Formats: sequence, structure tokens, C-alpha cells
Amino acid sequence: MQGILRFFEYSGFANVTPGHILMVLIGLLFIYLAIRHEYEPLLLVPIGFGILIGNTPFMENAGLQLGIYEPGSVLNYLYQGVLKGIFPPLIFLGIGAMTDFSTLLSNPKLILLGAAAQIGIFLTYLGALVLGFANPEAASIGIIGGADGPTAIFIASRLAPHLIGSIAIAAYSYMALVPVIQPPIMRLLTTPEERKIRMKPPRAVSKQEKVIFPIAGLLLTGFIAPGSLPLLGMLFFGNLLKESMVTKRLADTARNALIDIVTIILGLTVGASTQATTFLTPQSILIFVLGALSFMISTAGGIMFAKLMNRFLKGDDRINPLIGAAGVSAVPDSARVAQTEGLKADPNNHLLMHAMAPNVSGVIGSAVAAGIMLSFLM
Amino acid sequence: MSIPFDFSAIQPEHFTLAATGYGVVFLSLILLYFIFSVMPKVLDFRFRKQPDAEGHATHGAHHTPKQSGEVNAAIAMALSLYFSELHDQETAILTIKKAAKTYSPWNSKIYNVINFKGAQR
Repeated sequence: MQGILRFFEYSGFANVTPGHILMVLIGLLFIYLAIRHEYEPLLLVPIGFGILIGNTPFMENAGLQLGIYEPGSVLNYLYQGVLKGIFPPLIFLGIGAMTDFSTLLSNPKLILLGAAAQIGIFLTYLGALVLGFANPEAASIGIIGGADGPTAIFIASRLAPHLIGSIAIAAYSYMALVPVIQPPIMRLLTTPEERKIRMKPPRAVSKQEKVIFPIAGLLLTGFIAPGSLPLLGMLFFGNLLKESMVTKRLADTARNALIDIVTIILGLTVGASTQATTFLTPQSILIFVLGALSFMISTAGGIMFAKLMNRFLKGDDRINPLIGAAGVSAVPDSARVAQTEGLKADPNNHLLMHAMAPNVSGVIGSAVAAGIMLSFLM
Repeated sequence: MSIPFDFSAIQPEHFTLAATGYGVVFLSLILLYFIFSVMPKVLDFRFRKQPDAEGHATHGAHHTPKQSGEVNAAIAMALSLYFSELHDQETAILTIKKAAKTYSPWNSKIYNVINFKGAQR
């Protein structure tokens, strides 16, 4: 009888709290959104399932070595890749190997939209300070506005490891909700005429330009913001593997097997890190609010800067301001949203290729912003 | 839960970080913009300057006529479809027909097995 009682004490039924149930419901919601609505399924399925794993109640600190925060547990070992900032650069390597920077090279002025959209990061940083967060915590929260999950995790792992779970979940949630969050802001800040602006087709980009880009990009951004080297170094290295055309096998591995493996482990462990006992705090709620604000400001910043640029541009050099929203680096979802909104205004106006330029420059911009934060605060 | 708003928490150095940070992001990407605005002209100039075997300056990289991105995309798509042997209509679809087999004791093994004993009687 005593054995049965002891077994019950160790079971989930004896250790469950309302927090666990809430988190399990959130996990189920993520899985539902991923499978039913296909919102970022490659991220939300691992994260959602990770939330279920992390919030299946058990007797903590009983020497079972089960939880992600218990040293020696398998999940804890896997989580080290997040805590030590190992996974985000590997993800960037894969992103570099799968990204085509041609659209950006064919119309380089669109790079500036990726810079403008980073305003959300810095305004939210100030907002987080006002709400009582410490300086490094505020910087980590601000990066959510870059809409770049790996960058947000990387910065949080360096500056505020205790907030990684909340920041990662907020960043990936808003990335998944790009099709919900961005369109109202895009419609609010643009006129129907602006949404119909047709941009000239991108020119063909030579192989030399494509090969020079990752090398010049790395040297330039690395010299200006060395803190961004782990991310941008891997991004540009991956891109060189792709564009050089002589390392096809390496590029294939980086953009397929490697990024898939890292995404699985990263998603699952980040999800599992939302253990109710450590995750459900008033701070987490504030982080979610600030993250949403940051993302919205970044979207608006990109759009408004495109409108500003149009004041100085003439004819078919003008920019459809909808693509400014793609300056947040949620690749390629925000570019897809720009395409969808553009088609609603003019069914024959395809903006996807144009929107990819600010989209990929947003990746560079947010990584540079992260590097600067690190340089100032480490 | 009351939300603590404390605007005095923002010190001048925080403004400095935010302004410098945003400025440096812009600076990095503006430099990239300049470099890659000039790059095509530099590359084009380099190839134009290359003399051919007879010592004449050639125009453009290997006399390649400039095509628009759309034309290139159409050519690339056509080549991709050709090499991956994709068709507009999958021929296999036409072969999928329901083969209705009318039951008959002549082609049913199980019929013979079941009725074997009866036949024996």
C-alpha cells in the first residue's frame, strides 16, 4: 500500500498545478495553430510539444533528473545548446545557405528598409527600462522587435539567461502571428494608391556580385559591430557556401539536415523551458506585451521609412510601402504578407520578390543591433 | 497586478545606447547599400577594360546581352521543368481506372475452395 502511495506521489496527478494546466493548454494551442492554420509549423510544433513535455508535472528535485532545469537530465544537456548560445549561430548558417540575396543586390536601396524597421528594438529597450527591467534584460526584450527568434535567443542567452523561455516564446509566437499582426498596421499606414505602386522588375545579378556579397558583408558588419560576428559570420559563411557553387554538399547539409536537426532540438528545449513553476511570472506577461509592441513599432517603422524614401524617388524607382513591413526579419512570412496585401490592392502586382530584399536585410539589421547591444552591455 | 511605470529609470546613457545603436545599424546597412550600388558598375567597368586577344577593348562581360529579370526567370523555370521532366498533366492519372472484376466461379479460387466439399458429395 505504501508503494502505491509513493507511486502516486511521484505521478503527475499529485504534482499538477493550475499553472501546469494553463501551460499545457498553451502548448495545445500552439500545436493547433501549427497544424490547423499552418502558422510557422516548423517552429510551433516542436515548441508546442516542448511545452507539453516541460509541463507534464512530476516531483521536482527528487533526484529523478527529469526536468529541463535539473542538472544531469537529458533535457538539461540538450538545453545547454540554447543556454550557451550554440544553436542560434547554427540556425544562421542554415539560413545563409538557403537565402538568395539577389533581390537585395538588384535594388540595394531596399537594404535601408531593413535598417529602419529595427527602430522597434531600441524603443522597446527604453520601454522595458520604464517598466522596471534591468538594462541587460531590457536589451534582450527589445530584440523581440527584430522578429528573429535565433537572434532573440542568442542575446537572451548572453544577457538575461533567466528570461530565455519567455523571450523565445514571445519572439516565435509573434513570428508565427505575422499574418495576423502586420496587415492591420499596413492598411492603417498606407493609402490605397500607395498599395498599388508597381515596382520595376529586379535586374539580373551576376555571380561575382553574389560571391562578393557575403565576404564584403561580413567584413563590413564585423568591423562595425564585432558582437554580431557569431550570427553574421555564420550567416555569410552559409551564403558563401551556397553562392560559390563549389561546396554544394556543404551548402546542402547546412540548409537541410543541419538546420532541421538544430530546429528540432531548439524548438523542443525552448518549449520545455516554459515549465510553469519558473515561467508563469508577471515578468513573462510584461515581456509578451513589450514584445508585441516592439514588433508593431518595427513594422510601422519600415512602412513609414518606405513612404519617406518615396518623397525622394520618382517614377518606377518608387517603393511600394507595403514591403517596408518586411523589414522585420521574419523570413519569409512578412514578405509573404506584403505580397498578399499587395495582391488585395492590385491582383496583378506581385511584391514577393521586392519584399524579400528588406526581409533579408532585416536579418542583417537585427543581428547588427544585437551585436551593438552585446558590445555595450557585456 | 499594478504595472510599475518609472520614466526616471531611463538615464542619459540608455538614450545614448538606443540612439547609437540605431545609428550604427543604419550606418552598416547604408555602407552595404553604397558598396552594392557601385559594385555592378565596377564589375562592368573591369570587364569592359579587359582587352581581347587583338588588343581591342571589349564591351560588357563576354558580350552577354542584358536580359530582364523576368526573362531570366522564365528561362530558368523552363530549364528547371525540362531537366526535372515535369509535365503539366501527369500521364499516370490516365492509367488509373477501376478494374471491375465480375464475380465468376471460373476466376474465383475461394469459390472453388468453398464449394469443393459440396462438389465431392
